[in-house]
Amino acid sequence: MMRNNLIALHDICVYHHVEIDFIQSLEDFGLIKTTTQKQLTFLSLDELMKLERYVRLAKDLDINLEGLHAISQLLNQVETMQNEINTLKAELNHYKQFN
Amino acid sequence: MDYIDYYKILDLKKSASIDDIKKAYRKLARKYHPDLNPNNDEANKKFQQINEANEVLSDPEKRKKYDKYGKDWQHADQLDAQQKQQRQYQSQGGGYGGGGYSGGFGGDDFSDFFSSMFGGGAGRSSRQSPFKGQDYNADLQLNLKDAYTTQKQTLTVNGKQVRITIPAGVENGQKIKLSGYGAPGANNGQPGDLYIKFNISEDPKFKRKGNDIYIQEEIDLYTAVLGGEKIVETLNGKVKLKIPEGTQPDSTLRLKGKGFPVYKKADQFGDLYIKWQVKLPTNLNQEQKELFEKLSKS
Repeated sequence: MMRNNLIALHDICVYHHVEIDFIQSLEDFGLIKTTTQKQLTFLSLDELMKLERYVRLAKDLDINLEGLHAISQLLNQVETMQNEINTLKAELNHYKQFN
Repeated sequence: MDYIDYYKILDLKKSASIDDIKKAYRKLARKYHPDLNPNNDEANKKFQQINEANEVLSDPEKRKKYDKYGKDWQHADQLDAQQKQQRQYQSQGGGYGGGGYSGGFGGDDFSDFFSSMFGGGAGRSSRQSPFKGQDYNADLQLNLKDAYTTQKQTLTVNGKQVRITIPAGVENGQKIKLSGYGAPGANNGQPGDLYIKFNISEDPKFKRKGNDIYIQEEIDLYTAVLGGEKIVETLNGKVKLKIPEGTQPDSTLRLKGKGFPVYKKADQFGDLYIKWQVKLPTNLNQEQKELFEKLSKS
């Protein structure tokens, strides 16, 4: 079931072979955010992307919730630093052109 | 199409045990997993190789085949026959395949070498671990008198008839779990459970607090003043009660063991509390008024 880019949790569980408890635990850890409408729970597409990442990490690498939480924070830091590096590189190139 | 040395990819000897393979895979997967290496094509490629190597070496049958024909796969006539059989099996819907993530990577992107040896969509078998089916929730409406005695009810859940026993004394909002009556599991996983929640509607006469029951009964002024008898209806039938003289309005009488049954404790009951409502006479005639006046002055 899909409603305004929201995908029903039940469909996600069936498709990805995950238990609803796993998704609820991810939400308890603040790793994803579900939306409830008319007593049904959904995930937005952005949140689904995050969930899929956690499912892959949990299944491929046997990582528990605490590990996923730590990874999530570190990846956010990496992304921020990567963006900073890109900005600094661009500024450096600009500076080099005029000197 | 080049031969791929799966042992080399996982940095293993040919004699490696299943445990060694698992450890090596985990170690390398942690290093090259695409989710841990965003925007790194090299890591992505490496992860696919590791995945493929693990897919073959961790499956005893595939490993045996790989060890036997691996290097000479181009000349393995027997292999062709096996492949043909396997393709047939997959076209009948028995293959693994499908069900990929939308993230854009995963074990489906195996090499041509792998595909020619083990079939197109093969893979992922080790990932499809069994999982438990979804739990179902159902509400069951009972009235207070139903909850007073042990009930047997038959419910239809997803086309299946479920016969349940509801023990006397069940609480409003209480849930019971029927294991295995939820949705079927996948990949040989256990079925989910069925949770039944009891909604007990309120009774206009009997108010329940835990295992005790509270009721209000009317007596006339004369019985309250002079004493008498009153037949009171309980959940367990009628009882005749003696009203002592001078019974005050709103005073309460406790009948021990005449309340609600204690859940799953046979022969144990709460108490029944009866609050007396004294009804005053109205529309008195002249004679009655005079008698009350006399009474008030005496």
